[in-house]
Amino acid sequence: MTGNPPATTAAAPSGGPAWVARPAGYAVLRRPGASLLVNRRAVAVAAALAALLAAVCVTSLCLGETTTSPVEAVKVVLGQPSPDELVVGTLRLPRLTVALLVGVAFGLAGALIQTVARNPLASPDIIGVSHGAGAATVAALTFGLTSWQTLPYVSVAGGITAAALVYVFAWRGGLHAQRFVLIGIGFSVALSSLSNLFLTHGDQFRAQQGKVWLTGSLNGRGYDQAEPLFWVLLLGLPALAWAGWAMRAVAFDDDTATALGLRLGRVRLGLVGIGVVLASVATGAAGPVDFVALLAPQIARRLTRTAQPPLVCSALTGAVIVVLADLLGRRLFSPTELPVGVLTAAVGAPYLLWLIVRARSGGPR
Amino acid sequence: MSTRLAARDLTLAYEGRTVVHGLHLEVPTGEVTVIVGPNACGKSTLLRALGRLLRPAGGTVLLDGRELRSVPTREVARAIGLLPQTPVPPEGITVADLVSRGRQPHQHWWQQWSEADERAVTVAMERTATVELADRMVDELSGGQRQRVWIAMALAQDTDLLLLDEPTTYLDIAHQIEVLDLVRQLASDAARDTGRARTVVAVLHDLNQAARYADHLVAMRDGRIIAQGRPRDVVTAELVREVFGLDAVVVPDPVTGDPLVVPGPPWRPHGHGDDTRTGVTPTEVARTEDDALPHP
Repeated sequence: MTGNPPATTAAAPSGGPAWVARPAGYAVLRRPGASLLVNRRAVAVAAALAALLAAVCVTSLCLGETTTSPVEAVKVVLGQPSPDELVVGTLRLPRLTVALLVGVAFGLAGALIQTVARNPLASPDIIGVSHGAGAATVAALTFGLTSWQTLPYVSVAGGITAAALVYVFAWRGGLHAQRFVLIGIGFSVALSSLSNLFLTHGDQFRAQQGKVWLTGSLNGRGYDQAEPLFWVLLLGLPALAWAGWAMRAVAFDDDTATALGLRLGRVRLGLVGIGVVLASVATGAAGPVDFVALLAPQIARRLTRTAQPPLVCSALTGAVIVVLADLLGRRLFSPTELPVGVLTAAVGAPYLLWLIVRARSGGPR
Repeated sequence: MSTRLAARDLTLAYEGRTVVHGLHLEVPTGEVTVIVGPNACGKSTLLRALGRLLRPAGGTVLLDGRELRSVPTREVARAIGLLPQTPVPPEGITVADLVSRGRQPHQHWWQQWSEADERAVTVAMERTATVELADRMVDELSGGQRQRVWIAMALAQDTDLLLLDEPTTYLDIAHQIEVLDLVRQLASDAARDTGRARTVVAVLHDLNQAARYADHLVAMRDGRIIAQGRPRDVVTAELVREVFGLDAVVVPDPVTGDPLVVPGPPWRPHGHGDDTRTGVTPTEVARTEDDALPHP
């Protein structure tokens, strides 16, 4: 019944097959016991995005109330002595680091959650993470329950709790993508009205702080906010390597994915879980920077032309968006500073409308 | 008759509504089994349970004597390939990428494309004549091409058991025949090339195609098996009436000699007197076939 091992029989024809199957556009890296499929276009896109990101970062370090030359800025980053060490190293670099990590985290979170929901509208902003974190933070702020140091933890707890509730309510013998998104939107609306309730009835000075936090701002953020995010991303790397692979099969319908041997419930929970943690920690660091998680994976996917949002390119795109938005927010109406979330929303909201209008008009799903 | 996949006293239900009642089935190894029956008779539900997509409400499905539910799903995926009725491809995926994802149960995140993967996908695409489609987008293919691509993906999974849920739906007749011929070919190729027996279970809704392509025919109604066996032994006018509630005559297929089901004449207005249009009435055929059928 078991038959021969296929290797001996399949190698029999002389000369081997004239044509060898390989997913179009992929290169194969193969070592004994390990092999990787690498999308060539994704590598090129990632390289271009990394170059763009480096350029935007250096620009961001150079521009401010005083202008620094790129050479001096790079010197500071590399830890060499420079006359601009104070303004670049103490003021701009910490803030840039937060922007970078927040963008990476939101980009990854969006790619993971959109893949599981099989819906480009599904992003942490929509499935309750941002609004859960928002409601918890605003409550803590307006009732004076917490200090600025513990605030990120409050928002992480709020985001994860809200996402868990959405997940539980969306579960009915399996996770249905459509219901997941709709229940997420429902929870988001409820939670944001809760935030508004706290803002209007709480102490007005604190409510003002809450409002600023809710728009998502990098003002005054530094290494204290960057550090937890950095560790979460670093420790999450193995999980992300797994996620990138699992996403290939999750992109199918439930039956096909199960037929491919996927424990769909657990894999989805794992992918959403990673996404929710990343989005919550990022929200804790900078507030809900709207639309980054929605935009970044979709832009990255259009650039790489892959079947699902590519993780690395989504992360880089997210970083470019946040760093650029923060730079524009600082300089556009200088000396008045716009919170980073205002700029991302200004770009993201029209894009969201465009997605919905295009879906209505019978475009590709 | 050996079996690797069997159902014992299987009861299946969707949200409390029982669809299949205490069903016993042994899938003959190395043969093409076709399940037929009227709409909502539970045939697709049965196939889903055989492929562990549906958890039994009672009874068990056995794979090599082990309860299917207790076998890790990845291990099941290396034994059973399954093509759902309407699989949904990831948006914007190419044919070669889709077919290569059939290797998922053999891979890990650190082992994404072994030589065995490459070989299995190459063979699967050659067998299904999808090589020239490799770089095309799945969204752009015709129905027949797309179905061949999905079958290629199931083949790439390299399983001895293959379950196909209505693989000919939405196809025109030429493509239906193409797919069905492919299915038969797959069953015999495996035996010739690897010495392994490939077992196919397909749900079809066309009784005549089922009779032509099945080694083993299973006729279901209301969640129960009414008859099973070689099509020549099973398909009779009586069975067609019992299973489908249709009056028909069964004649030998002029090409294969397999049973061919011919329904009674179509409805016509009275007074035209053209029920002799073909020169043969069901009663006459029934007489020649020794297979009595009451005149409508």
